[in-house]
Amino acid sequence: MRMWVYVIRRLLLMIPVIIGVMTITFVLVTALGPTQRIETFIGPSKQGYSPMINCIPGDTSPHPAQCPNPAYVRAVHALGLDKPVEYQWGVYIYNSLTLNWGNTSKASDASQLYGITTSTAVITVLSWYLPYTLELAAISLVIILALAIPIGNYSAVYRNRPFDQAARVVSFSGYAFPGFLLALLLLLAATQLSGGFVAICHGGSDAFNEWFGSWPSQNCLPGGNYPNWMGSQNHFHTSPTGFPTVDAILNGNSYLAWESFKRMILPALTIAFGAIAGILRFVRNSMLEVMNLDFIRTARAKGVPERTVVRRHAGRNSLNVTVTILGLTFAGFIGGFPVTEQVFGLTGIGNLLVQSVHVPIDYGLVFGTTLLFTIIVVIANIIVDVLYAFLDPRVRLG
Amino acid sequence: MSAGSPEPAASAPLPSSTQRRPNPRVAQLKRTFYFLRRNTLAMIGLGILVFLIGVAVGSVFYNAPGDQLQTYCGSDTGNGVGLVGSSNASGCDHVVCTYPYNTPAPSANCFPVDPNQVSVLPPTDFSHGLSLGPFPFGSLTTTADTNEFYNLFAGMVKGAPWSLGISAVVVVSGSMIGLFLGASAGYLGGYTDESIMRATDIFLSIPGLLLLIVILSTAGSIFPTFWGHLEILIVAFIATDWPIYTRIVRSQVLVTREQKFVEASRASGARTSRILRKHIIPNSVYPMFVQMSLDIGTIPLGLATLVFLGFSIFPHVAFPEWGSITAQSVGILASTLQYCQEFSGCLFPWWQFFIPGTALFVFAISVSFFSDGLRDALDPRLRR
Repeated sequence: MRMWVYVIRRLLLMIPVIIGVMTITFVLVTALGPTQRIETFIGPSKQGYSPMINCIPGDTSPHPAQCPNPAYVRAVHALGLDKPVEYQWGVYIYNSLTLNWGNTSKASDASQLYGITTSTAVITVLSWYLPYTLELAAISLVIILALAIPIGNYSAVYRNRPFDQAARVVSFSGYAFPGFLLALLLLLAATQLSGGFVAICHGGSDAFNEWFGSWPSQNCLPGGNYPNWMGSQNHFHTSPTGFPTVDAILNGNSYLAWESFKRMILPALTIAFGAIAGILRFVRNSMLEVMNLDFIRTARAKGVPERTVVRRHAGRNSLNVTVTILGLTFAGFIGGFPVTEQVFGLTGIGNLLVQSVHVPIDYGLVFGTTLLFTIIVVIANIIVDVLYAFLDPRVRLG
Repeated sequence: MSAGSPEPAASAPLPSSTQRRPNPRVAQLKRTFYFLRRNTLAMIGLGILVFLIGVAVGSVFYNAPGDQLQTYCGSDTGNGVGLVGSSNASGCDHVVCTYPYNTPAPSANCFPVDPNQVSVLPPTDFSHGLSLGPFPFGSLTTTADTNEFYNLFAGMVKGAPWSLGISAVVVVSGSMIGLFLGASAGYLGGYTDESIMRATDIFLSIPGLLLLIVILSTAGSIFPTFWGHLEILIVAFIATDWPIYTRIVRSQVLVTREQKFVEASRASGARTSRILRKHIIPNSVYPMFVQMSLDIGTIPLGLATLVFLGFSIFPHVAFPEWGSITAQSVGILASTLQYCQEFSGCLFPWWQFFIPGTALFVFAISVSFFSDGLRDALDPRLRR
């Protein structure tokens, strides 16, 4: 099979998974009341969404004549609320696939924190904050790979020796440590020790963030809460990509580029520390398996130096498994984002999710963020599969 | 692994005609434990786990002060420490006051507080009954204001059965669902396999924490508070947990069903249910045990994260569960630090999150060591 055929097949297989995920969120959506559903998925209306309203607007007589509310009737028709469940499902799936993911609610913490003053389409809001999360993800992924592959390989080589045991204890600690506590301790240490290394800008609504936010205020980037956070205060006028560091570089401001990169170091370390255990153990195991294969013995027998055996022969062959595992653990890796972004007060979609579950819950954002994160996981899995097929011809040819 | 000692299977005498052969499953367990015993980390993990289970069982006999929900209100006595709420607020069961622990008590209903340890009873003082909870096992209370008085020792002891119990219920139910679905999918194949595995794929592609959040926030529209609705939480955790077991069991069943003894059983006319029950499932559960022991430590962590994000199961009450205590300790840290700023010279309240955090950490890391050793012991390729 040619490579592109494989890629297309893989992309087509993604569609049922996405529809399945949307079905799960649909099941949860049906648990909401009709008013809640209408407000989330149609958006606010001037008349409100009570089924009956006064026939004459502003009628203050004791028994005003009641008429059906046209906004309500339209909304019920649009969502198919008067039709059977499978029709509603169809409407929901159609809306979701056409990126009509509902609207944010003005009253929610998320809207207030992120400065969304009017009810906006969820997909628009997500598109503002996604690049930040992607950049954070890229940095933490680099940290994970840079640490997990060499440490895993050497753990396998020095199996059950002090290096191996220490590496396993440290990596398991990441697995066993509550992420928010680690993030908090790192934040405390950084702010205490280096006096404003991490600039936290009024990132959370909690007293927690306000407290930490007040500390390194001289280094704090102004306007950290809205999409063009590198806005007019910093004499920035364009935000072409949305990725903070990339934007700063494109605008030629090296101070801001470094500053925005610095803000991501500790969060990325937190996320990497939580995710590394799962990958490290698989790298170690696959390396153990490879090290027991015949061609390693042959390489040693013909006098190849041990360094080269470990790096070239064994290391490259265990890489295939590492790539697969990266795909499998990606969902867990993504799960670290909401908490980390919230503690560090970063304006990514993880923090958006955290803020949107505060009462009154912003359901549009909750479902939208979940869908988006899931789609990221699915796409990451496809990339991993393609990469795997590229590395190992048996997959695409077999 | 030292090369000197031979495996027990090799050293055991051959069964004579009079001696009964040991049950193969018992022999398998013995062999697993033999390999497990040589893994130091795994044995340390197992030891800690046994100790924690002992604490959970023993906590039933520990008399934490009080056994019902009590609300305490009081006023600041003017010495820098004290309850923040007003003494004549409605809904108070007890009106109390505080005093510095090294001075004589002004009256019977006053509680000693270390001025350096803001708003936490000294950890050594377990005798004072500010810590009350809503359960037979409960021992921990915070009140609706910022009166975060609680007794960490009692909370740790009384929290053990909740943490361990919730984890066990979730993992056992999740793995049972996974075992049933995975065995059916793997053995029956065809459309059953396809439909079950596609559902599994879908659930696996939603990040676990996000599925928990979205389920709980939707449930929040039905139940205005989660007060007492522990079952919603457990169902949400099971919903995120079952797919991984299904996938693991299925992959193992695919291997097992090709074995000769399954074929022999089918040839001698056994029904599908019997083959599944007697041959397939007993021979496919071991990888599942590894995953179970790994998962059991992460559930209190997940619970802690949820509470940290604001999904409190018992609003205004510190639910005596390690994860909840950790999260709430971290949650009040900011106000404590702010308090410290106002009344200068207070200690950094490290013990508030250190003690419950350590309990969580020790539990999770001991089960992951144990599961790692268990996997090594069960997988013949990794034994060498």
